[in-house]
Amino acid sequence: MTAETALKFAALEAQAQTLMSVFTKAGHEAVAPAVIQPADVFLDVIGESLRARTYVFTDPDGAELCLRPDLTVPVCRIHLARHANPETQAKYCYNGSAFRFQPQGADAAHPREFRQAGIERFADSAREAAEAETAALILKAVESVGLKNWTLHIGDLGLFRAVLDAAKLPQRWQKNLGEAFLRPGAFKTELKRLTTEPGARSRALPEDLLRDLVPGDAEASEAALLAYLDSNGIELIGNRTAAEMVAHLLDALKDRDAKPLDASAAAMIESYLAVSGPAATAGTRIANLLTGVKGGPGAALDAYDRRLALLANAGVDLNRITFSAEFGRSLAYYTGLVFEVSAPGMPPDSPIAGGGRYDGLMRSAGASRDVAAVGAAIHTERLLSAVTGARS
Amino acid sequence: MSKLTLAIPSKGRLMEQTTDMFARAGLSLRKTGHARGYRGEIEGLPDIEIAYVSSSEIAAALKSGSVHCGITGEDLVRESMSDAATRVTFLKRLGFGFADVVVAVPACWIDVATVADLEDIAVPFRRAHGRWPRVATKYMNLTRAFFAEKGFGDYRIVESLGATEGTPAAGAAELIVDITTTGETLRANGLKILDDGVILKSEANLVASNVAAWSPWLRNAQNTLLVKLNAI
Repeated sequence: MTAETALKFAALEAQAQTLMSVFTKAGHEAVAPAVIQPADVFLDVIGESLRARTYVFTDPDGAELCLRPDLTVPVCRIHLARHANPETQAKYCYNGSAFRFQPQGADAAHPREFRQAGIERFADSAREAAEAETAALILKAVESVGLKNWTLHIGDLGLFRAVLDAAKLPQRWQKNLGEAFLRPGAFKTELKRLTTEPGARSRALPEDLLRDLVPGDAEASEAALLAYLDSNGIELIGNRTAAEMVAHLLDALKDRDAKPLDASAAAMIESYLAVSGPAATAGTRIANLLTGVKGGPGAALDAYDRRLALLANAGVDLNRITFSAEFGRSLAYYTGLVFEVSAPGMPPDSPIAGGGRYDGLMRSAGASRDVAAVGAAIHTERLLSAVTGARS
Repeated sequence: MSKLTLAIPSKGRLMEQTTDMFARAGLSLRKTGHARGYRGEIEGLPDIEIAYVSSSEIAAALKSGSVHCGITGEDLVRESMSDAATRVTFLKRLGFGFADVVVAVPACWIDVATVADLEDIAVPFRRAHGRWPRVATKYMNLTRAFFAEKGFGDYRIVESLGATEGTPAAGAAELIVDITTTGETLRANGLKILDDGVILKSEANLVASNVAAWSPWLRNAQNTLLVKLNAI
């Protein structure tokens, strides 16, 4: 927060010390990443939407830099700098400032400068255990500074993928829907296209080109595309190659001849997305939804149940956990579990803490492959105001 | 009594067309002070003072309220403020300075005709090239707002202050957002406009700043000017 009293500063510092001691006692090494980060990594990871909320600037040497919009990517960069093999197991924690432009104007609930305290855990192959421990540790930390009446809200992108899989969608449609999941409007449009006329888009393509493409033969198809461009006097320019265009065209060709998606499969996807309620019963509801579906999301559901059991073992009261299938939609880089901790009296768009699994992030930050990663961050100003608000 | 400050373009086609329009309304503009000065007046409208300002700065002056009214392109106004609806009022479209702000991609992208197609190719592009497709533009805010409304976020903006239409062929960007009037420059650079890629159909506007210091007297002067321009 921008204008703060020395008293409040001291209160935040004291709170941070308690949080960090909970983290370090659980085996997380404290790190202090740089505030100024190369802009490229963030913008390539998160895309242009967060750039509009990131303070990007050019230094006198012309390098594009930014004030870190979060601390997760900087911690990934520390890990990569230390370990030639990114799949080295490690647990980190941090407490520091992050910066975000607030398009509607900065206020106390949405400050442009705020302090995050958080944990990251890399390359742990015991997936659900790592997830449950991460969530439980965050809850323990917020409790240790006095937030007793939290609720935990969870979502699971792994379950969503499993449902798409169970709906027997072709790979390319799963990919489309998976990417569209983050954007409810686009998702609805795409699902409608698949159930009504999957070939709609190919109608805009030149018929004489489609005729010359050879399904399954990228090389011959590329030759056909080049011949088409040539005969129409269109020059091949830019970085995107003819091979990339051909791959996309061949998908469109497959769509043109594809049978529309079964209405019952679409209904199953939609009823999954409507599941919302107590986490303890959501698993059963999803299992019922998929009864009779061959090769249903067995493994993903097992993981869901195992994670809950591990949370219960860690002493977390399952009655305080809610699940919603839609949750995770606004969060760009998560790949599996997502969770948020909220406190009574705080606005719904102001969670106290949030986190989840993001196996693809390390690769975006420069690793040669995906690395298992779970983490979470606490919005410390919100935590402090939730705790002091509850006391007063 | 204070005067209404009207900012008009200080050079180029927009200045000529603005002067012509005033002439057609029976108003002649005269520079005051020395010949190359940046102030002027309108004969017969003593309550209005002219400020000659470069067209891109007119938008900033309207935004801050340092002028009461200005004549400039709608594209520049919308680009320079995210809250145009509250900061300014578009009083009159002036019928010159036409320019469409458009999304254009290489014409050889046979498989891409709409923003939805861009969404389709962004992830495979990233897989092949290790980064999101880059959009060269000087209209960063219009671009972001347009793509956000379409639900497209998998791109990077590279700021381009000149010769934007050449960036795809040069390999500095994959696509562009730029202004066009006839589309000829785009075609010459091997580009095509997306079917749903018209972001804004812009023209010169008489624009009032909502945050300038107004008085009933000055509003009266604004209305007198509008009546004259509407009579053309």
